[in-house]
Amino acid sequence: MIQKNRVLQGIGASPGIVLGPAQVLSPREGGAQVTGRLLYSPQEVAAEQERFRQAVEQTAQEMKRLKQEIPRELQEHSHILDLHLIILRDPMLLKETLRFIQEQNLNAERALYQAFQKIKELFQRIGDPYIQGRVQDVEEVYRRLMGQLTGRGSRGLLGLGRPAIVVARDLSPAETTQMSASQVLGFITERGGKTSHTAIIANSLEIPAVVGLDGATLEIVSGEEIIVDGLTGLVILNPDEGMRRTYAARLEEFGEFKAQLAQGCALPAATSDGQPIRVLANIELPEEVSLAQKYGADGVGLYRTEFLYLRQRSLPTEEELFEDYRKVVAAMAPLPVTIRTLDIGGDKFLSPLAYPTEMNPALGLRAIRFSLKEQKIFRVQLKAILRASAFGKVRVMFPLISSLRELQEGRRLLEEVKEDLAREGRAFKPDLPVGAMIEVPAAVTLAGLLAQQADFFSIGTNDLIQYALAIDRVNKQVADMYQPLHPAVMRMVQQVVQAGREAGISVAMCGEMAGEPLYIPVLLGLGVEELSMNALAIPLVKRVIRLISLAEAREMARQALARATVEEVNDYVTREMDRRYPEIFRFAHSLSTHPGI
Amino acid sequence: MKQADAKKEKPPVVQTELWVENRLGLHARPVAKLIALAQQFEGTTLTLEKDGAKADVRNLLSVLALDCPQGTRLVLKAVGPQAREAAAVISGLFARKFGEP
Repeated sequence: MIQKNRVLQGIGASPGIVLGPAQVLSPREGGAQVTGRLLYSPQEVAAEQERFRQAVEQTAQEMKRLKQEIPRELQEHSHILDLHLIILRDPMLLKETLRFIQEQNLNAERALYQAFQKIKELFQRIGDPYIQGRVQDVEEVYRRLMGQLTGRGSRGLLGLGRPAIVVARDLSPAETTQMSASQVLGFITERGGKTSHTAIIANSLEIPAVVGLDGATLEIVSGEEIIVDGLTGLVILNPDEGMRRTYAARLEEFGEFKAQLAQGCALPAATSDGQPIRVLANIELPEEVSLAQKYGADGVGLYRTEFLYLRQRSLPTEEELFEDYRKVVAAMAPLPVTIRTLDIGGDKFLSPLAYPTEMNPALGLRAIRFSLKEQKIFRVQLKAILRASAFGKVRVMFPLISSLRELQEGRRLLEEVKEDLAREGRAFKPDLPVGAMIEVPAAVTLAGLLAQQADFFSIGTNDLIQYALAIDRVNKQVADMYQPLHPAVMRMVQQVVQAGREAGISVAMCGEMAGEPLYIPVLLGLGVEELSMNALAIPLVKRVIRLISLAEAREMARQALARATVEEVNDYVTREMDRRYPEIFRFAHSLSTHPGI
Repeated sequence: MKQADAKKEKPPVVQTELWVENRLGLHARPVAKLIALAQQFEGTTLTLEKDGAKADVRNLLSVLALDCPQGTRLVLKAVGPQAREAAAVISGLFARKFGEP
């Protein structure tokens, strides 16, 4: 008799629950020891090296072909194959194998095997688990190469016959990208962790996955019914009626939670008592607009513009900048796009500018200070922004404002550029809103004055916290003192919001703090009405906003402000959030997203 | 005299400190971006150094093997005609956290 309800514990890697028949994939070729064969003549060595080079070429072709074949919904993962193409030609793999053939008279397979073992040993010494995990990529390249050499090719995943839960020792990234959600109901692998490609891709396909389940291919038999719970990492073999019912209920509950997130993310967010809150995305490249749209952003709250200046050696031209900005603005229209002018220092430039490397760049010539010093560069950027404004709804903001003069100077230059454009007969919006980023304590103190001359404020919390608390987050000695809910930071936010309110301008927040569910109620309570964040964080943040009323949020902010130390504030906020909104934090932990390799 | 000549021909050397600030550390994707940037400075050697261990910037596996999680301090050494530009671009990429959180 078959045992019912046998439970295996792995690592939940992609949330979701599924019941279905298992399909166990047989172990792959190439994992085992490879036998050596000695070469006897220089001709043989040369021929063997040539054979290896050809295998490398063929593997490169194969990878390029696979890249073409990646289904559209997985395009964002095609970089994995680019990465493999780099590894394929990495000296540690390529040159080492050729050297082993040459110096030890080994056949290509054995030489490759040895080169790979050396890399594996090297990686075993790596302490960081995520970086160590990248040995999977080397292994994938190794297998493909070996497959070419032995003529056996790589295992195909097609032909599952019917939809099934795939059980394998491990799945290579390329194999995972070839799968379509219609055939694969879920994944179980023996190897891998939360950050493996399988996990990342399963997440984007929204397929439940359990990884790191030792012995799965031996314990599970093809054809038997199993339940995969990607939230807890549990796998249940041959569930009986009762177990099926339990899981059906859990699945329904999770489905509801997910549906609420998904459904909610397309709609504007408002608190339960009706206060609308705008939720926007931070982007750096024009290509990221699609992410902002996918996750329901109400616009772009921070468009970082440094990339074009760092990517090439000559300064970008007005046309190049305009093209990038126009793309973003037109794609997001009629939603707003907030363009932040250059936020780097002179020492970061490639151009002929000769600025020395600074001892302390955070306090140096950067952002608006640099722009006002290098007015030619600044004018070109302002011109491109103004021209893009004709294609949608644009706002511009100046980073690192620390005095009224900087804001006035920036505005004056903008007016001059408008006159130039008018003379050239170019289209632009003359009433382009101009904002000041509040990220220096001096700007907080002067918020009342700045608000008289700004059309909006955007609080950049990353820098504000760094400057206010004098903490460099990268410095491990003090990193734990970087605390967004520090009483000083909360008071600063409150002061900026009040100044904005008195002057009748909107106050946004665009640092990492704005995308963290835990901080949202306090921020709303302090009066922030617009939050801009990494697009992936939007669905959850919108959900939190809808659950809370503005009255409750104000009460939480009041209570938080009444506490004298950050430890007390953190303690209060964490406890309160767990008590009030257990439903958010119940699933939220398994829903956190990682950026992928 | 000879010495002076030799000095003149020495290519520029730039050394700069870099910090790994992104959450996941110097994993494969940032290194791939690094390599893509390094390609434009042919003829300039680019070496990363961490506590005495060295890696060629263009060699993905050797950079990974340096093991640089968030918070790691590295020294970049650029030697060659475009040493200054290369160091500036690479510092920029690190400063932007490779476009990651």
